[in-house]
Amino acid sequence: MLAYILRRTAYGVLVVLGVLFFLFALFFLVTKPDDIARKAIGDKAMPAVIAQWKKNHGYDRPLWPGPGHMKDNMLVEHYRRMLTFDFGRSDADDTVILDRIEKGAGPSLSLTLPEFVLGLLLGIGLSLFVAFFRETYIDRSAVVLSVLAMSVSSLLYIIGGQYLIGKELRWFPISGFDPSWAVRQRFLALPIVVGLAAGIGSSVRFYRTVFIEDIYKDYVRTARAKGAGELRIMTRHVLQNAMIPILTNVVTEIPFLLMGSLLLEASFGIPGLGSLTVDAITGNDFATLRTMVYIGSLFFVAGQILTDISYTIADPRVRLD
Amino acid sequence: MTRNDRWQLLPPLLGAFCAFVVVFALAACTNNPYPDSDNGQRVLYTSFAEAPKSLDPAVAYDTAAHEITGQVHDTLLEYHYLKRPYMLIPGLATTVPKAQPQPDGSVTYAFELRPGALFQDDPCFELGGAGKRTREISADDVAFELERIADPLVNSPVIDPFSNLAGFAEFSARLSKLLKSEPGFKSLPARERYQRALPLPGVRVVDATHLELRLKAPYPQILYWFGMPFTTPVPWEAVEYYSGKNGHPHLADHPVASGPFLLSEYDKQSRMVLDRNPNWYGAKHPEWRAPGATYPSDGEASDGPAGRLASAGKALPFLDRVDFRREKESIPAFTKFLEGYYDTSGIIRESFDKMVKDERLSPEMQALGMSLDKSVIAAVYYIGFNMDDPVVGGKSGDVSKKLRQAMSLAVDVKEYTRLFMNRRGVPAESVLPPGIFGYEADYRNPYRHVDLDRGKALLKEAGYDNGIDPKTGKPLHLTFDTYDTSPDGRLRYQFFVNAWRQLGIDVEIAATNYNKFQEKVHDGAYQIFLWGWVADYPDAENFLFLLTSDMARTKNNGPNTANFSNPEFDRLFLAMKTRENDPERLEIIRKMRGIVEDQCPWIELYHPEDYSLLHTWVHNVKSAGLSVPTLKYDDLDPSLRQQKRTAWNKPVVWPAYALAVLLLLVIVPGVLTFLRERQ
Amino acid sequence: MTEVLNSYLTSNLIVLSLLLGALGLWRAVAKNRLWSEALRSVYRRRPIAVWVCALYLAVGLSDSVAWVGGAQVGTDAVASHQAKTVLDRIFGDTKEKSYSAPFADAEFYAKSKLRHPGSHVLGTDILGRDVLFVTLKGVRIALLIGGLTSLISIPLALLMGVLAGFFGKYIDDGVFFVVSVLQSMPSILLLIALITALPKSTLSVCIALAVTSWVGFCRLARGETMKLRELDYVYAARALGVSEMRIIWRHILPNLTHLIVITFALTFSGLVLSEAVLAWLNIGVEGSWGQMIAQAKNELSRDPVVWWNLAAAATALFVLLLAINLIGDAIRDVLDPRTARERQ
Repeated sequence: MLAYILRRTAYGVLVVLGVLFFLFALFFLVTKPDDIARKAIGDKAMPAVIAQWKKNHGYDRPLWPGPGHMKDNMLVEHYRRMLTFDFGRSDADDTVILDRIEKGAGPSLSLTLPEFVLGLLLGIGLSLFVAFFRETYIDRSAVVLSVLAMSVSSLLYIIGGQYLIGKELRWFPISGFDPSWAVRQRFLALPIVVGLAAGIGSSVRFYRTVFIEDIYKDYVRTARAKGAGELRIMTRHVLQNAMIPILTNVVTEIPFLLMGSLLLEASFGIPGLGSLTVDAITGNDFATLRTMVYIGSLFFVAGQILTDISYTIADPRVRLD
Repeated sequence: MTRNDRWQLLPPLLGAFCAFVVVFALAACTNNPYPDSDNGQRVLYTSFAEAPKSLDPAVAYDTAAHEITGQVHDTLLEYHYLKRPYMLIPGLATTVPKAQPQPDGSVTYAFELRPGALFQDDPCFELGGAGKRTREISADDVAFELERIADPLVNSPVIDPFSNLAGFAEFSARLSKLLKSEPGFKSLPARERYQRALPLPGVRVVDATHLELRLKAPYPQILYWFGMPFTTPVPWEAVEYYSGKNGHPHLADHPVASGPFLLSEYDKQSRMVLDRNPNWYGAKHPEWRAPGATYPSDGEASDGPAGRLASAGKALPFLDRVDFRREKESIPAFTKFLEGYYDTSGIIRESFDKMVKDERLSPEMQALGMSLDKSVIAAVYYIGFNMDDPVVGGKSGDVSKKLRQAMSLAVDVKEYTRLFMNRRGVPAESVLPPGIFGYEADYRNPYRHVDLDRGKALLKEAGYDNGIDPKTGKPLHLTFDTYDTSPDGRLRYQFFVNAWRQLGIDVEIAATNYNKFQEKVHDGAYQIFLWGWVADYPDAENFLFLLTSDMARTKNNGPNTANFSNPEFDRLFLAMKTRENDPERLEIIRKMRGIVEDQCPWIELYHPEDYSLLHTWVHNVKSAGLSVPTLKYDDLDPSLRQQKRTAWNKPVVWPAYALAVLLLLVIVPGVLTFLRERQ
Repeated sequence: MTEVLNSYLTSNLIVLSLLLGALGLWRAVAKNRLWSEALRSVYRRRPIAVWVCALYLAVGLSDSVAWVGGAQVGTDAVASHQAKTVLDRIFGDTKEKSYSAPFADAEFYAKSKLRHPGSHVLGTDILGRDVLFVTLKGVRIALLIGGLTSLISIPLALLMGVLAGFFGKYIDDGVFFVVSVLQSMPSILLLIALITALPKSTLSVCIALAVTSWVGFCRLARGETMKLRELDYVYAARALGVSEMRIIWRHILPNLTHLIVITFALTFSGLVLSEAVLAWLNIGVEGSWGQMIAQAKNELSRDPVVWWNLAAAATALFVLLLAINLIGDAIRDVLDPRTARERQ
C-alpha cells in the first residue's frame, strides 16, 4: 500500500516537472524579454533601467545550462523558483504575484464552490427525477431541452442573464464585488445562476444516461421483482451504483474550483483568480500566466493522486499497479 | 395509492416547497452594490476602467493615475475652477510669480510658499524623529521633487520641459555618470545622491518658504508645469521609507501628499478610496481664505444660471469621501449610473441616442433630474504618416506628398464621428484645438474635406493611377499599424481602410500586440498609425512641438511619431515658442499651419468632446478640457440620492412567482398520471 | 509561406481535393454494407439535422472557391483586383453606410435612404455590411475550426494511442506521461497560453485547440487497441510473421473507424464553442460568429435596440451546433455497440 502511494506521488512529481518544462519552452523561448520590459516600464526608458528591470524579473540570464553557468541560467532558475513558490512579480504592473493569488483565491472560491455544489445537486436531482419518469413526456422534453441548452454558447447565457435578471428585473447587481460577507452574496447570485444555467444541459444529459443505463441492469429487475417501490430503487440502488462513474467525473473538477471561472469572473467583475488570468492575457503578463497554469496543474496532479489512492482504499478490485 | 407510495411522494413535494421559499426570498433581493451602512453618507461614487500604473508624482502621466495624484497632491499653482480661458491662481504658493528677466538673458521666478502647511499623517515621518507623524512643507521638498525628475533612476517622462531650468540637464548627466562609474552609488539614499551631483543653479532654496527658479531662456509655459503634480513637494522620508523593501509598499503605490484628500484605500485592480485630509492647509486654516481652498465667487457667464455659484465663498472640500470602483466593461458601469449607484458618468456609445437629442439632454433624462455637462477637450487625434518611410515619407518628395494628400481627401471624419463617437468630436482642420490661442474657427484645410475625384487625380499625378503601384502592377499596398486588438478598434480601423479602398489603395491592418508595436516604432518600421495628443497645458507650443525635428521619434525617442522634419517649420517654432499671445505670434502660427497643410504629415481627425452626465443630487461639477483636479469643488445631497435610488430600483418580482406556478402546472399532472399508472 | 497558404489558389485546390476525397469515400461506403446501412439509419433518425448540415457545408464550400475578376464591387476599387468567392459573387455589392434594420428602406439612426432599400434580410451592421452575408461567411470559419482542428488532433491521437496500445511498455509509458502532462494543465489556460505564444493566425488557433483536445480520443484509441491486440486473428497474423505496421494498418485501424466518426461528431461542437469563448477574450479567429457575438453584445444596450447582429450570429451558431449534436447522438447510437443494446 505504502509502496503504491510513494510510486503514485513520484509519478505526480514527474508530471509536474514535465509541465514546468513545457511552460519554459512556451514562455521563454517564444517571447523576448526586451519586449516584456519595454511594455512594463515604457519604451522611452534608458537601457540601464531596462537592464535593471530584466534583472529584477529574472530575464537577463542565458537560457540553457552550459559551461560556466550550470546553475545560473533561466531554465534552472525557472525550476527553482516555481518549485519554491517564489513566483516573483507580475510583468505588467510589478505587483507580487503570490499576493494577488492569495487575494484572489477567496472570491474565486466563493463563486465556484456554491456553483459546484448547487450544480451537482441540481444536475443529479433533475436527472434522477427525469429518469424516474422515463418514457413520459417529462423525460422526452427533458432530453430535447438539454440538447437545446447544450447547443447555446455560454456567452449567450451571460449576456441574457445580465440583460434579463440584472437590467430588466433588477433582482441583483449586474456586476461587481464587495469583500464584506453581507454584501458579497448579492454579487454572487447572478453569476452562480448563469453558471448553473449554462451547465445544466450537459450535466442532466450525462447523469441521465448513467442512471438509465443502470435502471436496465439486472439487479434493478431483481429488486423490482422483490417488491421494492420505484422511488426506493432510484435512491438506494441506482443512485449508489451510479455514484462511481459520477464521482470520477466530479472529482476531476474539484482541483480546478480554486482557479475560478475565467468567463464568469471577467464578465461579472469578480476579482478572483480567473479575473487575474484574463488581465494577464490582455496585459501580456507572461509571469502571471505561467504561474496560473503551473498552479492549476499542481492542483490537478494532487487531486489525481488523492483520487487514485482513495480508489485503492475503497475498491479492492482496483489494486492494479 | 398505497400508504407506502404516499410517503414516497414526500420528496418531490418537499422540493416544490423549497422552490416557493426561494421565490419568496427573492422578494428581499436588491441590486445595490454598496453596504447598507453607506446610505446617506457624503460619499461620491464613481468608476474607473484602467488601473493606474504608478502614483509616483514624478512619473504619473496617464489619465488613470491623474485621477488620484491630481486630488491628493497639492501644487504651488492651480487653475481657476470656473474661469475660461484657463488662468492660473495661487495654490500652495501665496501668489503667481511674474517672470523677472535678468541681464544675462536668463529669467527668474520667485515662489513664496504658505508657512505652516503640513504633509498628511504618515508613519514615514518617523525617519525624521521617533513619534513624528508629519512635518511642515518647505521649499526643500519642492526642490527635492525637481531633482527627482532629473534622476535617471526615477525615469520621469517630463525631463524635457524641465531642462529649461539652468543646469538641469547637466545635473541629470552627472547623476547618470555617477551611476555608471560608482557601483555603490545606486543604493545610496536619494538625498545623498542628489547632494553629490550638485550644483543645480536652476533651483535655489532661499529659505524654508522661498524658492527661486532660474531659466536659461524665456519659457513662460514653465508656470503651467507648477500646476501639475510633477512639481508637488515630496518629503524625502517618503522616498526612503516607501522603497518597496522591508514590507513597505513602493512610493508608486503609496503617495505621501499634502492635498485636500488622502488615499486611504488602494486596491488598484478593484477599488480606490479618497478620504478628507485633516492636515490640508485649507482644512486647518479656512480663515486664510486661500484661493485654492475657497470656492470661487466668479466664473463664466454660464456658471450662474447653471447653479455653479451657489457655494461661492465656502471652504473646501465638501465631500467626506470619494469611492472609485473598477468597471472593466462600460455597459454595466453605465447601467449602474442610471440606477443611481454612480453619481457621474460619461455616456456610452450604445445609449447615446437615448440620453442626448439634438445636442441636449433628452426629455426622459431631464425628467429624472439629470444634467449634461459638455466641454471640448484640448486634444487632437490624427492619423500619422511615418515621414522616414520610403513610400509615404518625405524623402520621395512630391510623389509621396500627393499620395498623403490624396489619402487625406478620402477620409470622412464627420461620418467617423457619427458612427463611433455619436458626433462627440469637432472635426479637426489643423493641429490646434478650440480654446488654444492660434486656433481659428474659420480656417479651412482643403485636404480635410472629402473629395474623391481630386484625390484620384492627385494619385494619378503621383504615378499611382487608380491606386495601382507601377512597380507591382497591383493596388498599392500599405500597412496601418496598431496595437488595439479589441473588437471596437478593429471596426474603427476598418472604416479608414474602406475609405482608402475607394481610391484603389490596399491598406492592410497590422494589429500586433503592444510589444511588437513599440518595437516597430522603435525601429522606424511603420508607415501609417493612429495617435492622439492631449494638452499638458493650454498653449499652442504644447501642440506644435509635436512636429519639430528635435522631437523625432525614431532618432530621439521624442513624441514626434511622424518623424516630421522641416527646417522652416523648426525655425518658425523657435520664433513663436516663448512669445506672448500677440498678433505676431498668430501670424507665425498661420505660416506653420500652412506648411503642415501642404506637407500633410498628419491626417487631422478630430478634437474630442467630453459629455458627462450628472445626477440631480450632484452639485458644482464643471468638466475641464484639461486634466485638472476638481473633486474638492464637488458637492452632493445624500438624502436626495437615497430617495431616488430606492424609487428607481424596485425589483420586479412577479416573473418569479409566475415561473414557479408554471413549473408546478407542468409537472404535477405528469407526476400524478405516472403514479396512478404505476399501480 | 503563409501567403501561399492563404492564397485563393491553395484554397481552391483544397476544396477540389476535399470534393474528390468525399467522392471516393462515398463510393467506398456504398460498397461496404455495414457502413451504408449505418449511415442510412442515421439519416432516417435525423433527416432534418442531416439536411441542415449539408446546407452549412454547401455554404462553406461556396465561400472557399474563389477567382479574380468579374465581381460587383461597388466603390471598393481594390476589390476588383482581389479574388472573390462564389458567396461574394452571389451577394455582390451590398454595402451601406451604417446600421439598418432587416428589410428597411432607410438607415436606422440617421434615417437617410439606403443604397439597396429592402434588400437586407438581416439588416446591416455598424459599418454597413449586410449581416446575412457576414453570418454566412462565418460558416466557413466555423467549419474550418471544427474540421481543421479535428484533422490535426484525430490523427495525432490515433498515432499516439495506437502505438501506445499496441506496443505497450515504454512507448505506452511515454505516451501516458505526455498525456498526463497535458491533461494536468487546465485546458482553457493552456489554450490561452498557446495562442498568446504562437503567431497570430487561424492555424495557430486550430493548433492550440488540437493540442488541448486530442487527449480524450488518444485514451479511447489506446483502450480499444489493447482490446483488439488480444483478438485471435491478430495473434494469427503475428504468428504468420506479418509485420507489425501491416497489422496495425489492416486490422487495428479499420476497427477504430467507427470511434473516429463518433469522436469527430461529438467534439465538433465543443471546438466551435471553445473558439467562441476565445473570441470573447479577443484571441479568436477573425470573422467567426464568436467574434460577431462579442462585437454585438454592446449593441443590445442601444436605444432603440440593435438586435439583428447578435441574433443572426447566435442563431447560426445554435442551429449548426444543434444539428451536429443531434447527428452526433444518432451516430453514436448506431455505431457504438454499447448503446446499441438500449435500442432493443
